[in-house]
Amino acid sequence: MGGSMAHRFAETPPLPNPLIVPLGDQGLLVRFATTLSDEANLATIAFAQQLQERLPEGVTEIDPNLVSVLLKYDPRKVEFERLAGEVRLLVGSGPKLKVRAPRRHRIAVRFGGEGGPDLEEVAAALRLTPESLVAAHNARPLRVLTTGFAPGFVYCGFHPDELVVPRRTTVRASVAAGTLLFAAGQSAITGTAIPTGWHVIGRTEFRNFHPEKDSPTTLREGDELTFEALP
Amino acid sequence: MTAIRITRASPLTTLQDAGRFGYLRHGISASGPMDRAAYNRAGTWLGGAGSTAIEFTRTGIGLAVEGGSLAASCDGGSFSLHHNGKAMNWPARLTLQDGDVVEIAPGADGNYGYIRFDHEVDVPLLLGSRSTNLVAGLGGLEGRALRKGDRLELGAQSKRAMSQHPRAVGTEPLPIRFIWGLHADLFGEDVRQSFVVGSFVVSQRIDRMGARLEDRTGVFAGSPILSLVSDAVVPGDIQILGDGTPIVLMRDHQPTGGYPRIGTVIEADLDRMVQLRPGAEVSFEPIRLSKAHALLTAGAQ
Repeated sequence: MGGSMAHRFAETPPLPNPLIVPLGDQGLLVRFATTLSDEANLATIAFAQQLQERLPEGVTEIDPNLVSVLLKYDPRKVEFERLAGEVRLLVGSGPKLKVRAPRRHRIAVRFGGEGGPDLEEVAAALRLTPESLVAAHNARPLRVLTTGFAPGFVYCGFHPDELVVPRRTTVRASVAAGTLLFAAGQSAITGTAIPTGWHVIGRTEFRNFHPEKDSPTTLREGDELTFEALP
Repeated sequence: MTAIRITRASPLTTLQDAGRFGYLRHGISASGPMDRAAYNRAGTWLGGAGSTAIEFTRTGIGLAVEGGSLAASCDGGSFSLHHNGKAMNWPARLTLQDGDVVEIAPGADGNYGYIRFDHEVDVPLLLGSRSTNLVAGLGGLEGRALRKGDRLELGAQSKRAMSQHPRAVGTEPLPIRFIWGLHADLFGEDVRQSFVVGSFVVSQRIDRMGARLEDRTGVFAGSPILSLVSDAVVPGDIQILGDGTPIVLMRDHQPTGGYPRIGTVIEADLDRMVQLRPGAEVSFEPIRLSKAHALLTAGAQ
Protein backbone atom coordinates (compact mmCIF):
# COMPACT_ATOMS: atom_id res chain seq x y z
CA MET A 1 0.00 0.00 0.00
CA GLY A 2 1.17 3.56 0.49
CA GLY A 3 2.16 5.53 -2.59
CA SER A 4 1.56 9.12 -3.48
CA MET A 5 -1.55 11.08 -2.60
CA ALA A 6 -2.63 10.84 -6.21
CA HIS A 7 -3.01 7.11 -5.80
CA ARG A 8 -4.59 7.20 -2.42
CA PHE A 9 -7.79 8.90 -3.44
CA ALA A 10 -10.25 8.31 -6.24
CA GLU A 11 -12.63 11.12 -7.03
CA THR A 12 -16.26 10.27 -7.43
CA PRO A 13 -18.11 11.80 -10.37
CA PRO A 14 -20.00 14.97 -9.40
CA LEU A 15 -22.93 13.88 -7.30
CA PRO A 16 -26.57 14.47 -7.87
CA ASN A 17 -28.04 16.44 -4.98
CA PRO A 18 -28.94 13.86 -2.38
CA LEU A 19 -32.37 13.80 -0.81
CA ILE A 20 -32.22 14.79 2.85
CA VAL A 21 -35.21 13.50 4.80
CA PRO A 22 -36.11 12.88 8.44
CA LEU A 23 -36.21 9.24 9.55
CA GLY A 24 -38.22 9.47 12.74
CA ASP A 25 -37.51 12.33 15.11
CA GLN A 26 -33.87 11.49 15.78
CA GLY A 27 -32.63 10.46 12.35
CA LEU A 28 -31.59 12.36 9.25
CA LEU A 29 -31.25 10.24 6.14
CA VAL A 30 -29.05 11.35 3.25
CA ARG A 31 -30.15 9.38 0.18
CA PHE A 32 -27.92 9.52 -2.87
CA ALA A 33 -30.33 7.46 -4.96
CA THR A 34 -33.46 5.36 -4.69
CA THR A 35 -31.97 2.46 -6.62
CA LEU A 36 -28.64 0.74 -6.25
CA SER A 37 -25.85 1.83 -8.57
CA ASP A 38 -22.08 1.82 -8.41
CA GLU A 39 -22.03 5.61 -8.50
CA ALA A 40 -24.52 6.08 -5.66
CA ASN A 41 -22.79 3.47 -3.52
CA LEU A 42 -19.39 5.14 -4.02
CA ALA A 43 -20.89 8.51 -3.14
CA THR A 44 -22.36 6.99 0.02
CA ILE A 45 -19.01 5.53 1.04
CA ALA A 46 -17.17 8.78 0.33
CA PHE A 47 -19.68 10.80 2.32
CA ALA A 48 -19.58 8.36 5.26
CA GLN A 49 -15.78 8.54 5.31
CA GLN A 50 -15.91 12.31 5.27
CA LEU A 51 -18.44 12.39 8.12
CA GLN A 52 -16.39 9.93 10.14
CA GLU A 53 -13.48 12.34 10.26
CA ARG A 54 -15.59 14.90 12.07
CA LEU A 55 -19.14 14.19 13.15
CA PRO A 56 -21.32 17.30 12.90
CA GLU A 57 -22.45 18.83 16.19
CA GLY A 58 -25.29 16.86 17.80
CA VAL A 59 -24.74 13.73 15.68
CA THR A 60 -24.43 10.65 17.88
CA GLU A 61 -23.87 7.93 15.30
CA ILE A 62 -23.66 7.40 11.56
CA ASP A 63 -24.89 4.32 9.75
CA PRO A 64 -23.97 4.01 6.06
CA ASN A 65 -26.26 1.85 3.92
CA LEU A 66 -26.15 0.81 0.25
CA VAL A 67 -27.07 4.25 -1.15
CA SER A 68 -27.73 6.36 1.94
CA VAL A 69 -26.23 7.42 5.24
CA LEU A 70 -28.30 7.68 8.41
CA LEU A 71 -27.19 10.36 10.87
CA LYS A 72 -28.63 9.79 14.33
CA TYR A 73 -28.81 13.09 16.15
CA ASP A 74 -29.95 14.53 19.45
CA PRO A 75 -32.65 17.12 18.69
CA ARG A 76 -31.84 18.81 22.01
CA LYS A 77 -28.37 19.57 20.66
CA VAL A 78 -29.02 20.39 17.02
CA GLU A 79 -32.06 21.32 14.97
CA PHE A 80 -32.91 19.22 11.95
CA GLU A 81 -32.78 22.17 9.54
CA ARG A 82 -29.39 23.24 10.77
CA LEU A 83 -27.98 19.73 10.43
CA ALA A 84 -29.55 19.40 6.98
CA GLY A 85 -27.85 22.67 5.98
CA GLU A 86 -24.50 21.43 7.20
CA VAL A 87 -24.94 18.18 5.25
CA ARG A 88 -25.85 20.12 2.09
CA LEU A 89 -22.64 22.09 2.42
CA LEU A 90 -20.60 18.91 2.83
CA VAL A 91 -22.06 17.10 -0.19
CA GLY A 92 -22.58 20.24 -2.24
CA SER A 93 -18.84 20.37 -2.69
CA GLY A 94 -19.41 17.74 -5.39
CA PRO A 95 -16.13 16.53 -6.83
CA LYS A 96 -14.38 17.19 -3.53
CA LEU A 97 -15.92 13.98 -2.22
CA LYS A 98 -13.28 11.33 -2.44
CA VAL A 99 -13.21 7.66 -1.63
CA ARG A 100 -10.14 6.61 0.30
CA ALA A 101 -7.88 3.94 -1.10
CA PRO A 102 -9.48 0.73 0.05
CA ARG A 103 -8.16 -1.50 2.77
CA ARG A 104 -7.59 -4.89 1.15
CA HIS A 105 -8.39 -8.32 2.54
CA ARG A 106 -8.06 -11.87 1.23
CA ILE A 107 -10.97 -14.20 1.96
CA ALA A 108 -10.30 -17.91 1.52
CA VAL A 109 -13.46 -19.81 0.65
CA ARG A 110 -14.26 -23.49 0.23
CA PHE A 111 -16.77 -23.35 -2.62
CA GLY A 112 -19.48 -25.97 -3.10
CA GLY A 113 -19.86 -29.18 -1.14
CA GLU A 114 -21.53 -29.18 2.25
CA GLY A 115 -20.83 -25.48 2.86
CA GLY A 116 -22.01 -24.40 -0.59
CA PRO A 117 -24.99 -26.58 -1.56
CA ASP A 118 -26.33 -24.19 -4.24
CA LEU A 119 -23.10 -23.83 -6.25
CA GLU A 120 -23.97 -26.38 -8.92
CA GLU A 121 -27.52 -25.12 -9.36
CA VAL A 122 -26.37 -21.51 -9.70
CA ALA A 123 -23.65 -22.51 -12.15
CA ALA A 124 -26.21 -24.44 -14.23
CA ALA A 125 -28.56 -21.43 -14.23
CA LEU A 126 -25.69 -19.30 -15.58
CA ARG A 127 -24.68 -22.03 -18.09
CA LEU A 128 -21.31 -22.39 -16.43
CA THR A 129 -19.49 -25.26 -14.82
CA PRO A 130 -19.04 -24.90 -11.04
CA GLU A 131 -15.29 -24.43 -11.63
CA SER A 132 -15.80 -21.64 -14.13
CA LEU A 133 -18.35 -19.93 -11.86
CA VAL A 134 -15.81 -19.98 -9.02
CA ALA A 135 -13.13 -18.62 -11.35
CA ALA A 136 -15.45 -15.86 -12.56
CA HIS A 137 -16.53 -15.06 -9.00
CA ASN A 138 -12.92 -14.66 -7.89
CA ALA A 139 -11.66 -13.01 -11.08
CA ARG A 140 -11.59 -9.54 -9.57
CA PRO A 141 -11.84 -8.01 -6.14
CA LEU A 142 -15.25 -7.00 -4.81
CA ARG A 143 -16.04 -3.88 -2.80
CA VAL A 144 -17.79 -4.05 0.56
CA LEU A 145 -20.91 -2.12 -0.46
CA THR A 146 -22.24 -1.83 3.05
CA THR A 147 -22.49 -3.51 6.43
CA GLY A 148 -25.15 -3.57 9.11
CA PHE A 149 -27.92 -5.90 7.91
CA ALA A 150 -27.01 -8.28 10.76
CA PRO A 151 -23.96 -8.45 13.05
CA GLY A 152 -20.84 -8.71 10.88
CA PHE A 153 -22.83 -9.19 7.64
CA VAL A 154 -21.29 -7.60 4.52
CA TYR A 155 -22.73 -7.01 1.06
CA CYS A 156 -20.07 -7.15 -1.69
CA GLY A 157 -20.28 -6.16 -5.31
CA PHE A 158 -20.66 -5.80 -8.08
CA HIS A 159 -20.51 -8.88 -10.29
CA PRO A 160 -20.75 -8.37 -14.06
CA ASP A 161 -24.16 -8.85 -15.72
CA GLU A 162 -23.35 -12.39 -16.83
CA LEU A 163 -23.13 -13.49 -13.17
CA VAL A 164 -26.47 -12.09 -12.05
CA VAL A 165 -29.04 -14.56 -10.71
CA PRO A 166 -32.21 -13.76 -8.73
CA ARG A 167 -32.63 -14.86 -5.13
CA ARG A 168 -34.06 -18.26 -4.27
CA THR A 169 -37.82 -18.53 -4.08
CA THR A 170 -37.61 -20.10 -0.61
CA VAL A 171 -35.85 -18.96 2.54
CA ARG A 172 -33.42 -21.16 4.48
CA ALA A 173 -34.25 -20.89 8.19
CA SER A 174 -30.60 -20.60 9.19
CA VAL A 175 -27.14 -20.56 7.64
CA ALA A 176 -23.96 -20.51 9.74
CA ALA A 177 -21.55 -17.62 10.34
CA GLY A 178 -18.97 -17.48 7.56
CA THR A 179 -21.38 -18.51 4.80
CA LEU A 180 -20.77 -17.03 1.33
CA LEU A 181 -24.06 -15.95 -0.24
CA PHE A 182 -24.70 -15.06 -3.86
CA ALA A 183 -27.62 -13.29 -5.58
CA ALA A 184 -28.63 -10.21 -7.54
CA GLY A 185 -25.11 -9.40 -8.73
CA GLN A 186 -23.66 -9.46 -5.24
CA SER A 187 -21.90 -11.76 -2.83
CA ALA A 188 -22.36 -11.53 0.92
CA ILE A 189 -20.65 -13.02 3.95
CA THR A 190 -22.64 -13.80 7.08
CA GLY A 191 -21.19 -12.82 10.46
CA THR A 192 -23.70 -14.76 12.54
CA ALA A 193 -26.25 -17.48 11.87
CA ILE A 194 -29.19 -15.91 9.99
CA PRO A 195 -32.10 -16.92 7.77
CA THR A 196 -31.56 -16.14 4.09
CA GLY A 197 -33.14 -16.35 0.67
CA TRP A 198 -29.80 -15.99 -1.10
CA HIS A 199 -27.94 -18.87 -2.75
CA VAL A 200 -25.37 -20.54 -0.50
CA ILE A 201 -22.21 -21.13 -2.53
CA GLY A 202 -19.36 -21.52 -0.04
CA ARG A 203 -17.96 -21.28 3.45
CA THR A 204 -15.05 -19.32 4.91
CA GLU A 205 -13.17 -19.60 8.17
CA PHE A 206 -13.04 -15.80 8.28
CA ARG A 207 -15.25 -14.36 11.02
CA ASN A 208 -16.32 -10.75 10.78
CA PHE A 209 -18.05 -10.52 14.15
CA HIS A 210 -16.26 -10.53 17.51
CA PRO A 211 -18.67 -9.05 20.08
CA GLU A 212 -16.02 -9.07 22.82
CA LYS A 213 -13.99 -6.44 20.92
CA ASP A 214 -14.71 -2.71 21.17
CA SER A 215 -14.93 -2.56 17.42
CA PRO A 216 -16.78 -5.83 16.88
CA THR A 217 -16.44 -6.08 13.10
CA THR A 218 -13.37 -5.97 10.86
CA LEU A 219 -14.72 -5.16 7.40
CA ARG A 220 -15.93 -1.68 6.55
CA GLU A 221 -17.80 -0.27 3.59
CA GLY A 222 -15.33 0.55 0.84
CA ASP A 223 -12.93 -2.28 1.72
CA GLU A 224 -11.78 -4.49 -1.14
CA LEU A 225 -12.07 -8.26 -0.84
CA THR A 226 -10.14 -10.73 -2.95
CA PHE A 227 -11.76 -14.16 -2.80
CA GLU A 228 -9.60 -17.25 -3.12
CA ALA A 229 -10.80 -20.81 -3.61
CA LEU A 230 -9.55 -23.40 -1.16
CA PRO A 231 -9.05 -26.84 -2.66
CA MET B 1 -23.57 -11.91 48.04
CA THR B 2 -27.10 -10.71 47.40
CA ALA B 3 -28.84 -12.36 44.49
CA ILE B 4 -32.25 -12.55 42.86
CA ARG B 5 -33.68 -15.96 42.04
CA ILE B 6 -36.25 -16.06 39.27
CA THR B 7 -39.08 -18.31 40.51
CA ARG B 8 -41.36 -17.69 37.53
CA ALA B 9 -40.73 -15.82 34.29
CA SER B 10 -43.07 -14.57 31.60
CA PRO B 11 -42.01 -15.31 28.01
CA LEU B 12 -39.34 -12.93 26.67
CA THR B 13 -38.33 -11.59 30.07
CA THR B 14 -34.95 -9.91 29.57
CA LEU B 15 -32.34 -7.73 31.24
CA GLN B 16 -32.29 -4.21 29.78
CA ASP B 17 -30.29 -1.10 30.55
CA ALA B 18 -30.74 2.16 28.58
CA GLY B 19 -29.43 0.47 25.44
CA ARG B 20 -26.41 -0.42 23.34
CA PHE B 21 -25.91 2.68 21.23
CA GLY B 22 -23.45 3.26 18.41
CA TYR B 23 -23.29 -0.16 16.77
CA LEU B 24 -25.84 0.10 13.95
CA ARG B 25 -23.14 -0.08 11.28
CA HIS B 26 -21.91 -3.29 12.89
CA GLY B 27 -25.41 -4.72 12.50
CA ILE B 28 -26.55 -4.32 16.11
CA SER B 29 -29.64 -2.33 17.02
CA ALA B 30 -29.69 -0.54 20.36
CA SER B 31 -32.22 -2.73 22.22
CA GLY B 32 -32.99 -1.18 25.64
CA PRO B 33 -36.35 -0.92 27.41
CA MET B 34 -39.48 -1.22 25.27
CA ASP B 35 -41.15 1.39 27.52
CA ARG B 36 -38.32 3.82 28.24
CA ALA B 37 -40.47 6.15 30.29
CA ALA B 38 -41.53 3.33 32.64
CA TYR B 39 -37.91 2.18 32.99
CA ASN B 40 -36.90 5.75 33.83
CA ARG B 41 -39.75 6.21 36.31
CA ALA B 42 -38.77 3.02 38.16
CA GLY B 43 -35.31 4.58 38.56
CA THR B 44 -36.84 7.81 39.86
CA TRP B 45 -38.93 6.01 42.51
CA LEU B 46 -35.84 4.25 43.76
CA GLY B 47 -33.36 7.11 43.69
CA GLY B 48 -29.98 5.74 42.68
CA ALA B 49 -30.96 2.64 40.74
CA GLY B 50 -28.54 0.30 39.02
CA SER B 51 -28.76 0.76 35.26
CA THR B 52 -30.02 -2.76 34.56
CA ALA B 53 -33.71 -3.60 34.90
CA ILE B 54 -35.59 -6.85 34.53
CA GLU B 55 -38.14 -6.29 31.76
CA PHE B 56 -41.02 -8.74 32.08
CA THR B 57 -44.08 -9.27 29.91
CA ARG B 58 -47.83 -9.52 30.43
CA THR B 59 -47.93 -12.63 32.62
CA GLY B 60 -45.53 -11.10 35.16
CA ILE B 61 -42.69 -12.61 37.15
CA GLY B 62 -41.82 -14.16 40.51
CA LEU B 63 -38.62 -13.37 42.41
CA ALA B 64 -36.96 -14.49 45.62
CA VAL B 65 -34.18 -12.61 47.41
CA GLU B 66 -31.11 -14.60 48.43
CA GLY B 67 -28.42 -13.54 50.85
CA GLY B 68 -28.99 -9.90 51.77
CA SER B 69 -31.21 -6.86 51.81
CA LEU B 70 -31.86 -4.36 49.04
CA ALA B 71 -34.30 -1.83 47.69
CA ALA B 72 -36.26 -2.34 44.48
CA SER B 73 -38.87 -0.49 42.44
CA CYS B 74 -41.45 -1.45 39.84
CA ASP B 75 -43.31 0.39 37.10
CA GLY B 76 -44.72 -0.06 33.61
CA GLY B 77 -48.30 -0.90 32.63
CA SER B 78 -50.47 -1.94 35.55
CA PHE B 79 -49.62 -5.23 37.27
CA SER B 80 -50.78 -6.94 40.46
CA LEU B 81 -47.94 -6.93 43.03
CA HIS B 82 -47.51 -8.99 46.21
CA HIS B 83 -44.56 -8.73 48.61
CA ASN B 84 -44.40 -11.76 50.93
CA GLY B 85 -48.07 -12.34 50.20
CA LYS B 86 -49.14 -8.79 50.97
CA ALA B 87 -50.85 -6.82 48.19
CA MET B 88 -49.03 -3.63 47.25
CA ASN B 89 -49.85 -0.66 45.03
CA TRP B 90 -48.48 -0.38 41.50
CA PRO B 91 -46.02 1.25 40.80
CA ALA B 92 -44.02 0.57 43.94
CA ARG B 93 -40.83 0.92 45.92
CA LEU B 94 -39.91 -2.13 48.03
CA THR B 95 -37.42 -2.88 50.77
CA LEU B 96 -36.46 -6.52 50.49
CA GLN B 97 -34.69 -8.88 52.91
CA ASP B 98 -33.05 -12.26 52.51
CA GLY B 99 -35.80 -14.81 51.80
CA ASP B 100 -38.43 -12.28 50.67
CA VAL B 101 -40.64 -13.22 47.75
CA VAL B 102 -42.12 -10.88 45.17
CA GLU B 103 -44.97 -12.00 42.92
CA ILE B 104 -46.00 -9.86 40.00
CA ALA B 105 -49.20 -11.13 38.37
CA PRO B 106 -51.03 -9.90 35.27
CA GLY B 107 -52.90 -6.67 35.80
CA ALA B 108 -55.32 -4.39 34.04
CA ASP B 109 -53.03 -2.83 31.54
CA GLY B 110 -49.85 -3.02 29.50
CA ASN B 111 -47.42 -5.52 28.00
CA TYR B 112 -44.13 -4.60 29.70
CA GLY B 113 -43.13 -4.01 33.31
CA TYR B 114 -39.80 -3.22 34.96
CA ILE B 115 -38.15 -4.02 38.22
CA ARG B 116 -34.98 -2.17 39.18
CA PHE B 117 -32.65 -2.50 42.16
CA ASP B 118 -30.35 -0.24 44.13
CA HIS B 119 -27.53 -2.45 42.82
CA GLU B 120 -26.16 -3.21 39.40
CA VAL B 121 -27.08 -6.64 38.04
CA ASP B 122 -23.78 -8.48 37.75
CA VAL B 123 -23.78 -9.64 34.14
CA PRO B 124 -20.92 -8.73 31.78
CA LEU B 125 -20.93 -5.45 29.90
CA LEU B 126 -20.95 -6.22 26.19
CA LEU B 127 -20.16 -3.34 23.81
CA GLY B 128 -20.86 -0.89 26.59
CA SER B 129 -24.25 -2.26 27.64
CA ARG B 130 -25.94 -5.02 29.62
CA SER B 131 -29.07 -4.99 27.43
CA THR B 132 -30.21 -8.29 25.97
CA ASN B 133 -30.56 -8.41 22.18
CA LEU B 134 -32.62 -11.54 21.58
CA VAL B 135 -32.30 -11.36 17.79
CA ALA B 136 -28.51 -11.43 17.86
CA GLY B 137 -28.33 -13.48 21.06
CA LEU B 138 -26.14 -10.86 22.74
CA GLY B 139 -25.83 -9.27 26.15
CA GLY B 140 -27.91 -9.73 29.30
CA LEU B 141 -27.66 -13.21 30.77
CA GLU B 142 -25.98 -15.39 28.12
CA GLY B 143 -27.75 -13.45 25.35
CA ARG B 144 -31.07 -15.10 26.17
CA ALA B 145 -34.42 -14.53 27.87
CA LEU B 146 -34.55 -15.14 31.62
CA ARG B 147 -36.24 -18.30 32.85
CA LYS B 148 -37.31 -19.98 36.05
CA GLY B 149 -34.35 -20.93 38.22
CA ASP B 150 -31.97 -18.23 36.92
CA ARG B 151 -29.91 -16.56 39.64
CA LEU B 152 -28.92 -12.93 39.10
CA GLU B 153 -26.07 -11.81 41.33
CA LEU B 154 -26.17 -8.19 42.32
CA GLY B 155 -23.00 -6.11 42.15
CA ALA B 156 -22.02 -2.84 43.70
CA GLN B 157 -24.68 -0.76 45.41
CA SER B 158 -25.64 2.31 43.43
CA LYS B 159 -24.95 5.82 44.65
CA ARG B 160 -27.90 7.17 46.56
CA ALA B 161 -29.91 9.87 44.88
CA MET B 162 -33.16 11.66 45.60
CA SER B 163 -36.04 9.22 45.44
CA GLN B 164 -39.68 10.03 44.79
CA HIS B 165 -42.86 8.49 46.09
CA PRO B 166 -44.18 6.18 43.35
CA ARG B 167 -47.28 7.45 41.60
CA ALA B 168 -49.25 6.05 38.73
CA VAL B 169 -48.97 7.94 35.46
CA GLY B 170 -52.17 7.73 33.46
CA THR B 171 -52.19 7.37 29.70
CA GLU B 172 -54.97 8.60 27.51
CA PRO B 173 -56.19 6.65 24.51
CA LEU B 174 -54.98 9.25 22.04
CA PRO B 175 -53.84 8.48 18.51
CA ILE B 176 -50.24 7.42 18.10
CA ARG B 177 -48.39 10.30 16.49
CA PHE B 178 -45.95 9.78 13.64
CA ILE B 179 -43.82 11.57 11.07
CA TRP B 180 -44.33 10.70 7.40
CA GLY B 181 -41.64 8.25 6.32
CA LEU B 182 -39.15 7.98 3.52
CA HIS B 183 -41.51 5.92 1.34
CA ALA B 184 -44.74 7.79 2.13
CA ASP B 185 -44.92 9.18 -1.42
CA LEU B 186 -44.94 5.68 -2.89
CA PHE B 187 -48.30 4.90 -1.30
CA GLY B 188 -50.43 7.44 -3.09
CA GLU B 189 -52.61 10.18 -1.66
CA ASP B 190 -55.68 7.95 -1.17
CA VAL B 191 -53.77 5.34 0.84
CA ARG B 192 -52.07 8.01 2.97
CA GLN B 193 -55.47 9.54 3.64
CA SER B 194 -57.11 6.26 4.66
CA PHE B 195 -54.09 5.40 6.83
CA VAL B 196 -54.70 8.56 8.84
CA VAL B 197 -58.48 8.30 9.13
CA GLY B 198 -58.59 4.51 9.55
CA SER B 199 -57.91 2.45 12.60
CA PHE B 200 -55.96 -0.76 13.19
CA VAL B 201 -55.97 -3.51 15.80
CA VAL B 202 -52.89 -4.72 17.67
CA SER B 203 -52.44 -8.41 16.74
CA GLN B 204 -51.23 -11.29 18.93
CA ARG B 205 -47.86 -11.09 17.21
CA ILE B 206 -46.02 -8.51 19.26
CA ASP B 207 -42.47 -8.80 20.52
CA ARG B 208 -39.27 -6.82 20.96
CA MET B 209 -38.70 -6.75 17.18
CA GLY B 210 -42.05 -5.33 16.22
CA ALA B 211 -45.82 -5.20 16.65
CA ARG B 212 -47.93 -6.52 13.80
CA LEU B 213 -51.22 -4.74 13.30
CA GLU B 214 -54.44 -6.03 11.80
CA ASP B 215 -55.64 -3.90 8.92
CA ARG B 216 -59.32 -4.84 9.12
CA THR B 217 -60.52 -2.12 6.79
CA GLY B 218 -57.93 -3.04 4.16
CA VAL B 219 -56.07 0.28 4.03
CA PHE B 220 -53.04 -1.47 2.54
CA ALA B 221 -54.89 -4.28 0.69
CA GLY B 222 -53.98 -3.83 -2.97
CA SER B 223 -50.81 -1.79 -2.28
CA PRO B 224 -48.30 -2.64 -4.99
CA ILE B 225 -45.41 -4.86 -3.96
CA LEU B 226 -42.39 -2.65 -4.29
CA SER B 227 -38.83 -3.69 -4.78
CA LEU B 228 -36.83 -1.18 -2.75
CA VAL B 229 -33.14 -0.84 -2.09
CA SER B 230 -32.59 -1.77 1.55
CA ASP B 231 -32.20 1.24 3.81
CA ALA B 232 -31.67 2.21 7.45
CA VAL B 233 -34.43 1.32 9.91
CA VAL B 234 -35.20 3.02 13.23
CA PRO B 235 -37.49 2.04 16.13
CA GLY B 236 -41.02 3.22 15.42
CA ASP B 237 -40.85 2.70 11.65
CA ILE B 238 -44.24 1.63 10.31
CA GLN B 239 -43.36 -0.90 7.66
CA ILE B 240 -45.86 -2.50 5.29
CA LEU B 241 -45.19 -6.12 4.34
CA GLY B 242 -45.88 -7.50 0.87
CA ASP B 243 -49.26 -8.88 1.97
CA GLY B 244 -50.30 -5.46 3.31
CA THR B 245 -49.66 -6.18 7.00
CA PRO B 246 -48.38 -3.11 8.87
CA ILE B 247 -45.66 -3.68 11.49
CA VAL B 248 -44.39 -1.05 13.92
CA LEU B 249 -40.71 -1.86 14.43
CA MET B 250 -39.46 -1.93 18.00
CA ARG B 251 -36.20 -1.84 19.99
CA ASP B 252 -34.71 -5.10 18.65
CA HIS B 253 -35.42 -4.16 15.01
CA GLN B 254 -33.12 -5.30 12.24
CA PRO B 255 -30.83 -2.33 11.44
CA THR B 256 -31.80 -2.29 7.75
CA GLY B 257 -34.89 -3.25 5.83
CA GLY B 258 -36.29 -3.39 2.33
CA TYR B 259 -40.02 -3.04 2.98
CA PRO B 260 -41.73 0.29 2.34
CA ARG B 261 -42.24 2.50 5.38
CA ILE B 262 -45.10 4.95 5.42
CA GLY B 263 -44.04 6.71 8.61
CA THR B 264 -42.20 6.56 11.93
CA VAL B 265 -43.88 6.71 15.34
CA ILE B 266 -42.39 9.57 17.34
CA GLU B 267 -40.11 8.66 20.23
CA ALA B 268 -42.45 10.32 22.73
CA ASP B 269 -45.33 7.98 21.75
CA LEU B 270 -43.44 4.73 21.26
CA ASP B 271 -43.69 3.88 24.98
CA ARG B 272 -47.47 4.16 24.77
CA MET B 273 -47.53 2.10 21.57
CA VAL B 274 -45.59 -0.83 23.07
CA GLN B 275 -48.02 -1.09 25.99
CA LEU B 276 -51.10 -1.56 23.74
CA ARG B 277 -52.35 -5.09 24.20
CA PRO B 278 -53.48 -7.44 21.45
CA GLY B 279 -57.02 -6.48 20.48
CA ALA B 280 -56.52 -2.80 21.29
CA GLU B 281 -57.55 -0.35 18.59
CA VAL B 282 -54.92 2.08 17.40
CA SER B 283 -55.05 5.04 15.07
CA PHE B 284 -52.27 7.24 13.76
CA GLU B 285 -51.93 10.99 13.54
CA PRO B 286 -49.26 12.72 11.45
CA ILE B 287 -47.41 15.59 13.13
CA ARG B 288 -44.61 17.91 12.15
CA LEU B 289 -41.04 17.18 13.10
CA SER B 290 -40.79 20.35 15.18
CA LYS B 291 -43.81 19.22 17.24
CA ALA B 292 -42.20 15.81 17.81
CA HIS B 293 -39.05 17.53 19.05
CA ALA B 294 -41.04 19.75 21.40
CA LEU B 295 -42.75 16.65 22.83
CA LEU B 296 -39.44 14.84 23.18
CA THR B 297 -37.87 17.75 25.05
CA ALA B 298 -40.92 18.09 27.30
CA GLY B 299 -40.87 14.36 28.07
CA ALA B 300 -37.22 14.43 29.08
CA GLN B 301 -37.81 17.00 31.79
